[in-house]
Amino acid sequence: MAEPTTGTQVPTQGGGAFPPFDTTTFPSQIFWLAITFVVLFAILSRFIGPKLGKTIGERKGRVANDLEAAGRHRSDAEAALAAYQQALAEARARAHAASEENRRQIEAEVEKAKAEAEGEAKAAAARAEAAIAATRAEAARHVTKVAQDAAAAIVTRLIGESVSAEEAETAVRATGA
Amino acid sequence: MAMNPMEQFEIHRIGPAVHLFGYDVSFTNQSLFMCIVVGAVTLFFAMAVSRTKLVPGRMQSMAEISYEFVANMIRSTAGDDGLAFFPFVFSIFFFVLFSNFLGLIPFAFTVTSQIIVTFALTALVMLTVVLVGFAKHGIGFLKLFVPKAPLLLLILLVPIEIISFLTRLVSLSVRLFANMLAGHTMLAVFAGFVVALGAAGWLAPVAIGPMLMIVFIGALEMLVAFLQAYVFAVLTCIYLNEALHLHGEHH
Repeated sequence: MAEPTTGTQVPTQGGGAFPPFDTTTFPSQIFWLAITFVVLFAILSRFIGPKLGKTIGERKGRVANDLEAAGRHRSDAEAALAAYQQALAEARARAHAASEENRRQIEAEVEKAKAEAEGEAKAAAARAEAAIAATRAEAARHVTKVAQDAAAAIVTRLIGESVSAEEAETAVRATGA
Repeated sequence: MAMNPMEQFEIHRIGPAVHLFGYDVSFTNQSLFMCIVVGAVTLFFAMAVSRTKLVPGRMQSMAEISYEFVANMIRSTAGDDGLAFFPFVFSIFFFVLFSNFLGLIPFAFTVTSQIIVTFALTALVMLTVVLVGFAKHGIGFLKLFVPKAPLLLLILLVPIEIISFLTRLVSLSVRLFANMLAGHTMLAVFAGFVVALGAAGWLAPVAIGPMLMIVFIGALEMLVAFLQAYVFAVLTCIYLNEALHLHGEHH
């Protein structure tokens, strides 16, 4: 389409020609378009595109990393909370068990002490009863003796005849004393 | 005073005439604006990446949003393996976007209002698509032109598919070119009205009408400038997707 122009040819200017369809200007337009577009392509693809891509990528990476780190910290915190709660529950259970054990021990001791005291009390009571019984027997013996003596004395005074201790004893026993 | 709305699309030489292999490749006002576009894009991004920080500042934020915008555009249309073409789509998008926007500055030249520029960019895209298609699928890339249909219908469908593929060369380039041309012509026409009415004595206050139109069309053109750059880049991604995955195999 574009015809070679000779050096003397001047592009037709103005007049009736419709400028965009003026083919004499086409070689120059294509030539400079090629140069400028290649320069623009080189600048954008070599320097600006990679730099922008890198910056945007770095930011995305940074944001993703930060989010990931935040997520990790969060799960760490949750794990720590769970561990704390478990430890707390364990400690509570242990304390409960210890106090239960303590209570049981004290109760057993109390029970034992009570049983001992009861035994002692019973023994003391038995001892006291025995003593009372002995005392009572002694007292009874004394009473019998007094009665025999009294009886012997009465008999002596009444009949003027002495009565032997054996006779008096037999006689007193016969009355049922 | 002849106001020619087409004057803004005229290309004239700046500096000496340069010839290469018999072709006139002199530096022109358009060449200058292509250099300005490249410089502006470079400056925009260089300011952002000169001191990158983890927490971005305003410029870095804008650059990163642009980067993510293009990356998402590729990912959603051509899948993750389309990202291999990120520098290509990124360059196309920003070349077109800055050309469109810088062209809106009064007295600036709109690089993308030249059919040969948009056509060359489109040809570059289609050439890439064809090369990628054959590199990835070998001769199997030609299956792109064979839809799933009865054999008899294929006689009709295959030529249609081939024509529609070739038509993209025209549709992609003309869409961008025509949008830019029409918008800027309209702005120039209304600007001409303002000047003409302003110079017409007692009619001068009426000039407020076309003046308001310029404001509205200017706003509209900003939308169009972005939208056309976006459309161009998205269609590039869609065509690349076809080359990579043939009949919509991706995601």
